[in-house]
Amino acid sequence: MTQIISRQDLLSWLERLIGERIVIAPAQSNGLVLFQRVSRAEDIVLDFDNTVLSPKESFLPLSEVLFTVAKENGDIKLMPATVAEEMVLFGLHPCDAKGMAVIDQPLLAAPADDLYQQHRARTTLIGLACSQAGPECFCTSMGTAPDDPSNLDILLTRVNDSYIVQATTEKGKALLPSDLIAQSEVTAPPPPSPQAVPTEGIVEVMRGAFESPYWSRLADRCLHCNLCAYVCPTCYCFDIRDYVDEGGIERVRSWESCQSPGFTRLAGGYDPRPTKGARLRQRFYHKLSYFPEHFGHLGCVGCGRCVRYCPVNIDIREIINDIQKLGAQSEC
Amino acid sequence: MIEGYQPKIIGFLCNWCGYAGADLAGTSRITYPANIRVIRVPCSGRVDPLLVIKSFQQGADGVLVAGCHPGECHYVEGNYYTRRRFALLHPFLEYLGIEKQRFRVEWVSASEGKKFSQLVSSFTEELAKLGPRREA
Amino acid sequence: MQEGLTQQIREKARELLTSAAVDCIIGYERASDGLTARPLFAYEPNDVDKLIFDQTCTHNLSRFLVDKRDSTVAIVAKPCDSRAVNLLLAEKQIQRERVYVIGVVCPGIVEATWGQINDRLQARCQLCREHTPPMYDFLVGEPTAEEPPVEPYHDVAELEAKSVAERQSFWAEQFARCIRCYACRQACPGCYCTECFVEQLDPQWVGIRVAPAENEFWHIIRAFHLAGRCIACNECERACPVNIPLSLLNRKLEKDVLELFAFRSGLSAEALLPLATFKKEERLGMGE
Repeated sequence: MTQIISRQDLLSWLERLIGERIVIAPAQSNGLVLFQRVSRAEDIVLDFDNTVLSPKESFLPLSEVLFTVAKENGDIKLMPATVAEEMVLFGLHPCDAKGMAVIDQPLLAAPADDLYQQHRARTTLIGLACSQAGPECFCTSMGTAPDDPSNLDILLTRVNDSYIVQATTEKGKALLPSDLIAQSEVTAPPPPSPQAVPTEGIVEVMRGAFESPYWSRLADRCLHCNLCAYVCPTCYCFDIRDYVDEGGIERVRSWESCQSPGFTRLAGGYDPRPTKGARLRQRFYHKLSYFPEHFGHLGCVGCGRCVRYCPVNIDIREIINDIQKLGAQSEC
Repeated sequence: MIEGYQPKIIGFLCNWCGYAGADLAGTSRITYPANIRVIRVPCSGRVDPLLVIKSFQQGADGVLVAGCHPGECHYVEGNYYTRRRFALLHPFLEYLGIEKQRFRVEWVSASEGKKFSQLVSSFTEELAKLGPRREA
Repeated sequence: MQEGLTQQIREKARELLTSAAVDCIIGYERASDGLTARPLFAYEPNDVDKLIFDQTCTHNLSRFLVDKRDSTVAIVAKPCDSRAVNLLLAEKQIQRERVYVIGVVCPGIVEATWGQINDRLQARCQLCREHTPPMYDFLVGEPTAEEPPVEPYHDVAELEAKSVAERQSFWAEQFARCIRCYACRQACPGCYCTECFVEQLDPQWVGIRVAPAENEFWHIIRAFHLAGRCIACNECERACPVNIPLSLLNRKLEKDVLELFAFRSGLSAEALLPLATFKKEERLGMGE
């Protein structure tokens, strides 16, 4: 027996949630589907390939104030930002949920990032299983799957005009609308099969490929535009700057990326990654070598956004294939 | 017209003409509204569009650039560049939704104290009618 | 016809590489979706067979010339791309003897995203005025008669005709989506400053905060820094992940530069850029 909710009831449930808390869901914006705060359930897009940007914005905003400092009656007060309102993040695919779990590793490890932790704690994740795999998808090679319920509080899987409801955490179970859920014999259709990418043993092979001229050749066409890092569900680098005026100080944190020229430039002018090749290599080493060596699993979730949006078609799947081949050659 | 609204004008005045003209207005005891905050620059050609946009972003309701009359620039050619640059920036700002009345480029010589004060008065009046600049 | 272009380009490229006339050919190859194109840097004569030219070859390869200024390179250039080469030459960013331009008579580039191509020509191609490159060292393809577009700035004029309030809300909506990835800047051959104004700390014109006011500032000034320089290849708009209509900004300035100064960028490597020069007698409606 499975639990199901009809599409109609799903919209009613979402409408109910919108009345109680902040709901972030995929919605139309100028021809694009983006995660946005919605005020009406009918604005939510239920059938889409994938959003342009990952939902990490809900936990690691594009730009956020960490704290403010102000003078009050001659006293100097430091006021850290707090995040209070309950939130529901609806409609993320399992790849994006895995992306959240990847970012959790560095940002929730002690000492945890305070604001990120608050965002995560106040949010319930309701995911949507994928009914089809895009030509750029390869999640199954990255430790997740189109119907993977882990890393979510609730997973909805579409079956005709209804959704199978799986609540995997207490948080998820607590949110379920018992009056709108029915029991059913319906089973989930087989999940789509994204393309396979040979990630087996990639971490080992990467160890030997660091000095290869492959990276600078690849970087010839790289624009160093940050786009890959910004659409990526697992990239989390940022820059922090203080804004000072007579009223006080605001410390702001915004997204940044290792691809920016000057990202690693140090005071004094020295830059350990001065070349295009060094910067590009860093991105793939983080995803396929440093992160897995540190945390035990690959730092990419196979959502394919970077493949789809890179203006010059730097394709991580192609790179994995190429590096595996390079590794095989050097063994001979 | 909003009650009590006082437009803020940032004025970039070139040292040799615009600023001197404003100074003459002062020494001649010709009054002009205190809505203008004056920033002295060596030449109107030094005024970067970055400065104009930054002024609007920091809360200016109007921006004035006052330089020497073309042909009379202390640095000979500076204001020819000013003229071209702002002839292009003015319609562009309007295209972006910044009303054309908010940005003015005027030629005010060192002897035109009266012109300066009249200019600031009329600019202030026009901006008061327009209302505060809405922040994006 | 396009197979002919591809063949000619490959032959020329092979000749240039085997004779060591150049260190590298910057051209196009097929992308990983099997449909669209991507830039190719060919260093060996063997790589030459990967070169292609067809209606998916959208990139402005002159973007890579400043990166490669210490080598001698050949570049496959569509007419718009060769105008960018002229711009870089006029601004002394590259040396003429180090660039060999394989100009291509362009059939127009189709709208495409990774994994999907359209039959329709890109908007910039529909408005194109020169299908034969204004500069080249070797020409591939047969020049044909030009049919200039009737109203090349109709979309700009449409926005100009709206009210101030309408334009304010239009741009506010567009800039609100900006994520300040700077893909537009990075894709542009005209944006080659080693330190962009957004990276300046003192004065801090635009910091790191992503907010409507800062986003607007970024776009206004970038467009203005390209005034009289932009050659409307539209790669900035194509690179933008959130579909900001950057061509509406750049081409407004292009239109005004043409009207005010009778100047079109990139047609000559010797031209004095309109904002770097002046005419004493001109009357531009400023302060008069």
